[in-house]
Amino acid sequence: MRNFLVARLLQAGLVATVVGALCFVLMRVLPGDAAMRIAAGRYGPDARIAEAAEKMRLELGLDRPLTAQFLEWIGDVLRLDLGHSLVTGSPVVHELKVQLGASMWLAASALALSLLVGPVIGLFSGLKPGGAIDRLALAGAVIFRAIPPFVLGLILMLVFSKQLGWLPPAGFGSPREMLLPALTLALGLAAMSSRITRNSVAAVAKAPYFAFARYKGLPEAVVVGRHGLRNAAIPVVSYLGLQAVYLVEGVVVVESLFAYPGIGHALVHAVVERDIPMVQGTALVMGLMFVVIAAIVDLLTHWLDPRVRRMA
Amino acid sequence: MNIQANPDLSIAALSIDSPEGRIVSDISLALGRGRPVTLLGESGSGKSLVAQAIMGNLPPGLHATGRVVFKGTDLLTETPAQRRRRWGRSICLLPQEPWLALDPTMRVLPQVAEIHRFVKEKDAARSNALAKENLAGVSLAHAGALYPFQMSGGMGQRAAIAMAHAADSELLIADEPTKGLDTVLRDSVTARLKREVEAGRLLLTITHDVAVARALGGMIGVMLDGRMVEHAPAEKLLEAPEHAYTKALLAAEPAKWEPQASAASGEVVLAGRGLAKRYDRRSLFSDLDISVAAGEIVSIFGPSGCGKTTLGSILLGLSPPDAGVVERRAGMSPLRFQKLYQDPPAAFAPHQTIRKGLTDLVRLHAKEWTAVERLLDRLRLPETLLDRLPSQVSGGELQRFALLRALLLDPAFLFADEATSRLDPVSQKEVITFLQEIVRETGPAVLFVTHDRDIAENISARAINLDNKGPLETAH
Repeated sequence: MRNFLVARLLQAGLVATVVGALCFVLMRVLPGDAAMRIAAGRYGPDARIAEAAEKMRLELGLDRPLTAQFLEWIGDVLRLDLGHSLVTGSPVVHELKVQLGASMWLAASALALSLLVGPVIGLFSGLKPGGAIDRLALAGAVIFRAIPPFVLGLILMLVFSKQLGWLPPAGFGSPREMLLPALTLALGLAAMSSRITRNSVAAVAKAPYFAFARYKGLPEAVVVGRHGLRNAAIPVVSYLGLQAVYLVEGVVVVESLFAYPGIGHALVHAVVERDIPMVQGTALVMGLMFVVIAAIVDLLTHWLDPRVRRMA
Repeated sequence: MNIQANPDLSIAALSIDSPEGRIVSDISLALGRGRPVTLLGESGSGKSLVAQAIMGNLPPGLHATGRVVFKGTDLLTETPAQRRRRWGRSICLLPQEPWLALDPTMRVLPQVAEIHRFVKEKDAARSNALAKENLAGVSLAHAGALYPFQMSGGMGQRAAIAMAHAADSELLIADEPTKGLDTVLRDSVTARLKREVEAGRLLLTITHDVAVARALGGMIGVMLDGRMVEHAPAEKLLEAPEHAYTKALLAAEPAKWEPQASAASGEVVLAGRGLAKRYDRRSLFSDLDISVAAGEIVSIFGPSGCGKTTLGSILLGLSPPDAGVVERRAGMSPLRFQKLYQDPPAAFAPHQTIRKGLTDLVRLHAKEWTAVERLLDRLRLPETLLDRLPSQVSGGELQRFALLRALLLDPAFLFADEATSRLDPVSQKEVITFLQEIVRETGPAVLFVTHDRDIAENISARAINLDNKGPLETAH
């Protein structure tokens, strides 16, 4: 257990360094003058913009050597100081707290919705592979996985907000506003998790131990409950870790689409405005989220599968 | 229970049809208390299908006709739901390869206890107590908290027997209960099955091992290509077999073989000196000297887990010894040191025809296809088999293809790792006979690993006993 924590901590450190370095390099190689964009973000584009940009460059130290700037940022991160937003001037940590909370709610609701749909459809598909449910579910999964989230979000908006008028197309505050963005993400997630569940259930249903549980005389509900679910859940839980990738990437797109004030929305704005500390802080938090999710998935697998416990 | 004059299970004119045609025809047999029945035959002879027809779990598409009368009821007239209600209650199955039949993620005790809990409907505490008794009955009292992957094959088999005992059904069907077990474990399993018979249970055993049939006694039915070719009391059938196949089957029993030890005809190809290996803090062997010369078969025998395969891998250079040195004759390509694997289907790519695999091999090593043809002829493999998938030929044929594949590279040393233990006795004898002939003709050095002492002593001048007490060389 101790080794496991140490390994994850090391991984977190590595992720932080790599993400930080990448952001730093990418932000600098973007075309255009960063100081100019920041000045525009702060004061709006006016006639004396070139002068403002020059002041900005000196103020923020953007004229110093790149290595010095990078080392300074790393040093700040080590002191848990993510700096101040170049646009609003408030500490990045404050901004992130608000936005991260909102995004977590969105991601959690999307994941919960997808778990209600995906594994259940997968279970029924897997118990009768090749049956009508299985084929319908396959068609559904292909469609919902193939449509990019921004198209899917627009379709949902058109149907549920414009045509039917049931749900607001954008905004933040109540569960009603969260439903459409969460559903957009959940459908994509469920498309994959239903197929993984289906394959895993089908494999378990064919396994000799599953047949033997029936030969023992156990009632079907006991066979599925005691010998089916846990064994079938192992690959599905492992896969949830990979789905985090889809979720984080989806959050960026979906939040912008639904004007939902989360971390993805903030990231897009920060990139446009060249708010370097914000970009670095947001990317760092997202990267660390991967590590946390992977650790949670590991712990779950560890609990579900005794064979992993032996190897650890 | 009163003693009945009628048999408790009688099967009359049982046939099993698939959409392609009849695969089992006209089986009749009767089981009574104290009179177990054993069906003997090779894989594909239909003996497992007979068991499945009784159990009521024939694969989809297969259909049984005839009569299977169990205590006055014809099981074949019952609905699938009625038949399923019998499982674990009046009919119970001892599965083959129980390490696959046990739930890999559940400890053993709850897997036994659930029979008391959900089939016999006892409360949780009582079920656990009963399950502990069942495990103690097969000397697994200490193993309740283990997961299946932490147990040996023999322990898994005993856990399955504890489950069969817990079910306490009247009829017990044992489907290849000794498959993959070494002789010591095999004998302990048959002894436990005998105990179930003595306790008054009806027993139907499916096996390809004549020794199991002999130990169980009662009636023996010999099956070949879906028919019962001979059916007689055990003593009579084993002493005076009538059908040619039964005779071949009995003659293939390793204990009955003519000893045919080949003497070394050339110089030493491979030698190990002072070899030692430990595993899990247990010494498998230490200070072991071994040498194999061209033209001889040296055997290593011993129970599962004694380090036979490890020794072979060390000699091949696949794993390092803890101490000692391995010397190969100088100037030989590593390709000339080959291995034959235990489970032929696992040693072939499953979705590739045998011809494709061999063509690739010939091209890779710049050999001539005529060499393949010569070997096909030599190993009596019909050329029509080349276009089949590995799953479409019998285990014996596939192992002969594996032998062909190894011989194609002109091996100087061949390590046969339990190469015949998964084959039925007739195919086993066939493969070993070919191996002996090849050794005489072209003179590779062969290291033959087996758990069967009879085989080891019959085919080698030198057989090394690798039990846990340390290696002992027996010479004769």
